[in-house]
Amino acid sequence: MKPFPGIASLNPDGVALRHALFLATGAGITICGIVLMVAILRVDGFTPVEWVQLALFVPLFGQIAFGFTIAFWGFLILASGGDRYEIMRTLPNPPADGPAGGTAIVLPVFNEDPDRTFRGLENMFRSVEAAGGGGSFDFFVLSDSNDPGRWIEEEAAWFRLCSRCRAFGRIFYRRRRVPLHGKSGNIADFCRRWGKNFQYLLILDADSVMSGETILRLARVMDANPGAGIVQTAPQIIRGKSLLQRLVQFATRLVGPLFAAGSNFWHLGGGNYWGHNAIIRLKPFIGQCVLPVIPGRSADDRHILSHDTVEASLMQEAGYQVWFAYLEDGSYEESPPDLSESLKRDRRWCQGNLQHFWFLFAPGTRFTNRIHIFFGLMAYLTAPLLVLFIALSSWDNRWKQQFEIFSAQVDVPVGPGWASTVLLGLTLALLFLPKILGLIHLLPRAGDYGGILRLFLSAIAETIFSILLASILLYFYTRFVILTVLGLRVTWKSQIRDKSDIPFGEAVKTYWGPTCAGVLAGLVAFFWAPALILWLSPFLAGLILSIPVAMLSGSEKAGLLLKDPGLLLIPEESSLPPILRNLDPGEPAVPGILQLALSPEVNAIHCSLLRKSHGHHEAGLLAGLRKRLLQEGPQSLSRRELNALLWDRQAVESLHRDIWISEENSLHPRWRNALRDFVRR
Amino acid sequence: MEELAWDPDWNLACARIEAYLRAHAVEPRERVLALTLGILQEAKTLHAQNPSSTRLGCAMNLAVRKSDDWFSSLAGDPAKASRARAAFFSSGRNDLFLEPSLPADFVSAIRNAGIEAGPALKFQSLLRKEPDYGAMEDIARETWDQFSWGHTLRAFALWVVVFLAAWGAYLRFFQ
Repeated sequence: MKPFPGIASLNPDGVALRHALFLATGAGITICGIVLMVAILRVDGFTPVEWVQLALFVPLFGQIAFGFTIAFWGFLILASGGDRYEIMRTLPNPPADGPAGGTAIVLPVFNEDPDRTFRGLENMFRSVEAAGGGGSFDFFVLSDSNDPGRWIEEEAAWFRLCSRCRAFGRIFYRRRRVPLHGKSGNIADFCRRWGKNFQYLLILDADSVMSGETILRLARVMDANPGAGIVQTAPQIIRGKSLLQRLVQFATRLVGPLFAAGSNFWHLGGGNYWGHNAIIRLKPFIGQCVLPVIPGRSADDRHILSHDTVEASLMQEAGYQVWFAYLEDGSYEESPPDLSESLKRDRRWCQGNLQHFWFLFAPGTRFTNRIHIFFGLMAYLTAPLLVLFIALSSWDNRWKQQFEIFSAQVDVPVGPGWASTVLLGLTLALLFLPKILGLIHLLPRAGDYGGILRLFLSAIAETIFSILLASILLYFYTRFVILTVLGLRVTWKSQIRDKSDIPFGEAVKTYWGPTCAGVLAGLVAFFWAPALILWLSPFLAGLILSIPVAMLSGSEKAGLLLKDPGLLLIPEESSLPPILRNLDPGEPAVPGILQLALSPEVNAIHCSLLRKSHGHHEAGLLAGLRKRLLQEGPQSLSRRELNALLWDRQAVESLHRDIWISEENSLHPRWRNALRDFVRR
Repeated sequence: MEELAWDPDWNLACARIEAYLRAHAVEPRERVLALTLGILQEAKTLHAQNPSSTRLGCAMNLAVRKSDDWFSSLAGDPAKASRARAAFFSSGRNDLFLEPSLPADFVSAIRNAGIEAGPALKFQSLLRKEPDYGAMEDIARETWDQFSWGHTLRAFALWVVVFLAAWGAYLRFFQ
């Protein structure tokens, strides 16, 4: 394969040819589907309902056709030995010596477990040092945590990490007093304060881990390609414990490489940005990628929730390219522990992706960005469209007394004749071929996945579970879209939990809706069109079983049950890379507020990071809060009151002094017990 | 010493002082005990002068004050005592806690410890551009400006009539 000298050498005709190949494949398959559908529907002439059905069929079928197209081209690229135009191929071989461009590695955190976050950070810091990154990289933990306990625990974890690694002045911790505009506001605040100090910004998530070698290579690839604005890696999902996590991490290994290679094939330098595990050129990012406001009636409506796709678009409008370093190892992240947490994330993404609608028709948006935005929209809009399609198909079936058929992902009305059989076969092929191609791609490395038999069984297990999940996701995505479009907030009943198991009561509260919908749909089908029951069974099973499926999704026992016989394995479980060692949490930490009051070390760390005390006019108020805190316990203060107290250095120092000099009987039992434990230790 | 051993209040104070010193990671144990007993003796003298105070309060006030004074002196500036205390914990020289005379390199290391939330600030403003969202924005704004439920219901009713008429025509002429 010829070398890739740099992105400046890209031939625009070659890029256009790839766009054409990609679109022709996806559109060609979609047209085949439309022709077949028309052949089915026109048997008795078109009714108005059938015209609507056909209109819905086009985007629904197009979605799976283009999904397959990406996987198909990805498979071809990987089978032919890789893509010449992969950004990391522009690095010289052997690798260049000398320092890479100054890079800030930023880790925005929001109430995450500090133990896990800082273990990952320590591994990355040591790995960068070992890789020879040295003085080119500074690390920033950018906290927006509004839980006062987490704030204190983060500070203590940062300080101890710096002490262990002698990294004061290399690893920084900053917490925003007003966490305006979430993660994008957090990054913007960093850029405003320190952006001038660095050439590049490597953005991580709290659960991200990247090897030093990968970080160094990313900085060097930016050095080598001044036209590259963002280089996104493909983070591998790791450390799966619950059943859902293990299924997701396996699925990303099964089909992830195909979709990644296929994506790079068609968009080349017009890629997307996922918000983390990516390196960004700071100058254009600061100068050209400040998030705009979108049209809306309130300030909340005007703020962009999902910033990454928009930033990629703005970067390209500014004349820089966005590349996907999909072959780069050493980039990792974790996945939500259970279905409820995963749906919470989907809810945010759904709201964010729907906002991107405004950029779909904006005059300055580039062609590839429009496609990314369209796919992002369709990822969620497909759900209500599919529900509508199912409803209309049922109506039409009842009306015409025809036989219909449904599959888990898309329902296809089947009339008599060859067309229905071909359309059903085509739909199933588009849905399942990417998994089969993924299996073929993994066969040479089957040993890393427990051998050929286990790899095959794992793929079957993953497929069965994804079929069960499909209808649950359909229900929730439809709900998210409708509520978002109506401008209503989506309420969620589940709580943030440290462990992944979903209790039965919480599962019932969250999943009674899909269960009832499944039972109702089953009854309607049974009395209305009994012949449909067999075809609807995978769809109905997911809905009716949504409560046990959700509980099972978060079960670590179920995850282990499959892991023990070697199912759903990933290579990192056979041979753990050094960067992923020691990430498991240690002993549960003493709550942050107790540490702050009792430990002179933690108290001093916190006070040394505060700038100054409030004025005298607030001293009385804070003294009252302090007194209440000690006499009535930590729960007696609201989060806001506690935050106000903790921002005042003098108040925090006094809290520490007060608790140590107080008689036990003057303290709330929580403090008394904590003090006794401290004295006993 | 006998009086201390048998007085439960002083016993409690002794345990609290010891815990406070251990919270400063003071090693070895012999030094912790020596410091504890020193503070306790001094507290006893103070308590004799002011019997209305509690023994625990008297002893711990003394211990905390000694610690605060020592860190203020170590920092060279009382306003930086917290920073010196934090730096002391990362210095690995906890054996020097409450020592009246300290090595110059230790003092220098504590005073120059780089406990910072970030490097030197270099502020710059982020300028937001006014994007052009095209015709969709105009349509949306006009809708928001002119939207009312009355209009919407009337429009909906009109479309229902149109749909029913079309449906009726279809049934009448094409079925």
